[in-house]
Amino acid sequence: MAKNSTDTATTGPELVITRIFDAPRRIVFKAWSEPEHLMRWWGPHGFTCPVCEMDFRVGGRWRFCMRSPEGNEEWQQGVYREIVEPERIVFSYAFEDVNGVSGLSGWKPGHQTTVTVNFADHEGNKTKLTVHQTNFDTVAVRDDHVRGWNEALDHLADYVVSDSAKS
Amino acid sequence: MSPDLNITFAALADPTRRAILARLASGEASVTELAEPFEMSLPAISKHLKVLERAGLIARGREAQWRPCRLAAGPLKDAADWLDHYRRFWDESFDRLEDYLRELQKKDENNGKK
Repeated sequence: MAKNSTDTATTGPELVITRIFDAPRRIVFKAWSEPEHLMRWWGPHGFTCPVCEMDFRVGGRWRFCMRSPEGNEEWQQGVYREIVEPERIVFSYAFEDVNGVSGLSGWKPGHQTTVTVNFADHEGNKTKLTVHQTNFDTVAVRDDHVRGWNEALDHLADYVVSDSAKS
Repeated sequence: MSPDLNITFAALADPTRRAILARLASGEASVTELAEPFEMSLPAISKHLKVLERAGLIARGREAQWRPCRLAAGPLKDAADWLDHYRRFWDESFDRLEDYLRELQKKDENNGKK
């Protein structure tokens, strides 16, 4: 695997993203657990995080504002479910407004996802970070871990995109 | 406009249904044609088609006897968008985190916290 690239895998209705960071996990964990650090990196390129409220304890709420380069704001919020320093953070994650920057169709405001962040030591002083995001409420769906889901979906998405371009 | 993403993902969670969708990506087909590659009865396939139809992933023709199935684009694109959105979100956030950690680490060392 490439050292600095992100590995993305989708098994079933979930997203798993792994990346190696060249910093000890104490530092990486800190970047996730203190607002003055988190607001420096949260969000895609060009975005800023002007508001970053977090009550970093189990049951505590977090609420971030993400501002796009065009100045559009999108609010995200959730609750910390599990905190094991410096190993794991689990939190719920929802968008407040369907008309936010992401412009996701099919997205409902308040639609919850769950994010699990794992911090593992890697080759001495590095950290292997794994983010696991799930979207689904139903047990039937959550328990279905079918391989190849990603390829099937990508394949179909390609088809759909080319198809809608035609019409 | 489109059904809940949960319904879309639930429909996509089954390998048979994904195979059916993949087949339909190359053109419309009858239930019999769709059933061919599977060791499954027609009623069983029909059940899968109903799930896909309810999720808005396929549409079926009105012709009485062979109601051809075809792929419906909307919900599938929503599902792909959902994943793409988050892939991009995490990927780009991690680029920034990488840069920021360098800064943070330097500060940490300067504080004499060895």
